[in-house]
Amino acid sequence: MSRRTVRIVMIVLAVIGLGIASYLTYVHYAGLKPACTAGESCTKVQTSVYSKLAGVPVALMGLIGYIAILASLLVRETETSRFATLVFTLAGFGFSAYLTYRELFSIHAVCEWCATSAGIMTILMVLSVWRFLRGDGSLDRPRIEAGEGARPAQVSVN
Amino acid sequence: MSPVEPESDLTRKQRREAAREERKAIEEASAAQSAQRKRLIQLGAVAGVVVVIIAIILVATGSGGSKSAPKPSSPAAKTAATEVVSLLQGIPQSTITLGNPNAPVTLQYFGDLECPFCKQFTLSALPIIIKKYVRTGKVKIEYRSMQTATRERETFQTQQVAALAAGKQNLMWNYLELFYHEQGEEGSGYVTESYLQGLAAQVPGLNLSNWSAARSDPAYPNQVIADAQAANQNGFTGTPSFTIGKTGGGLQKLEVSGFTDAGQFETAIEKLLKG
Repeated sequence: MSRRTVRIVMIVLAVIGLGIASYLTYVHYAGLKPACTAGESCTKVQTSVYSKLAGVPVALMGLIGYIAILASLLVRETETSRFATLVFTLAGFGFSAYLTYRELFSIHAVCEWCATSAGIMTILMVLSVWRFLRGDGSLDRPRIEAGEGARPAQVSVN
Repeated sequence: MSPVEPESDLTRKQRREAAREERKAIEEASAAQSAQRKRLIQLGAVAGVVVVIIAIILVATGSGGSKSAPKPSSPAAKTAATEVVSLLQGIPQSTITLGNPNAPVTLQYFGDLECPFCKQFTLSALPIIIKKYVRTGKVKIEYRSMQTATRERETFQTQQVAALAAGKQNLMWNYLELFYHEQGEEGSGYVTESYLQGLAAQVPGLNLSNWSAARSDPAYPNQVIADAQAANQNGFTGTPSFTIGKTGGGLQKLEVSGFTDAGQFETAIEKLLKG
């Protein structure tokens, strides 16, 4: 898989994750039940004591996390931008792992939206680790200035 | 100059060039290695920090980060008690029913006392319905139970029976309104015997010894079972859930998209009152 493909895949995943987090944040503040095929599982998770951390809804934290990941993917790729993506996705993965643990062992209900987000975050983390370790400084080198090598042909004057 | 000399010069040059290339390659390889080592260290450091933060969160929320319900003597509980009294004062109650027994419309409210969505409904849309339709004798509301948020079956039954026992003195609605007003964090285990007794103590006019005696009435656990069966028959999957209809007629499921807006309830009630 080329670096470009990996980056595009990551952007697509981050956009899907952003959509999920936006929806869950919306239903949280609107006081609605999240659409859920698994009965009341999503509601149980969304309204549980673990749906907030220090008073902040975890859905909102997810939303901010996905925005950060997306931003780090959309800026010009450098060693620093790859490191930023790594930091955000590792933090997101860790937090998703914590939430999944709470779903399985504390709330005893799994929310499909949260599980999907956790899956996306896991893939994003794996890809960002791979991308970061692979490095590739080619894009870090200064780019050829626009116009260079594309000078207009000299017109010979007779 | 002998013909050997230029060749030897060239060879020397080539050797120098080759040595330079080799040095460059070694330097590049070493730089790449050191960059890779730096990346691995950075990755390890970030992963370590994340693990530490998650461990701290796990420990901090180990008990569920629970917020217990307010103590009966606290200002929050007193405010809740005043609100409940002003909402319900003067409205007839009979066991699980709030409102005029001959009201033309019956609304059934299926709830779990620990359910946060039920709390949202009870504190936002329900007071509007009570003021507009129950107080005016147009609607009566029956409270039925359905276990959703409460984890343990035993706790669910105990708290529901505590509310039903207040119904023996026609004060069930005061009890359940107070329960919702002072609801603790879900899953934090705040529903204890002292919590249930504390709520009872806040219900004005409730004879506590009669209430305590009524809690062992076997009719109440049966009522909880009957409620669960009714909820099942209606195909309810969550709380709060509702049925509505003309009193004495069949009740239909009332689907609402949100619990904080009384509008959808008002529309359904108005339709039945006109029909």
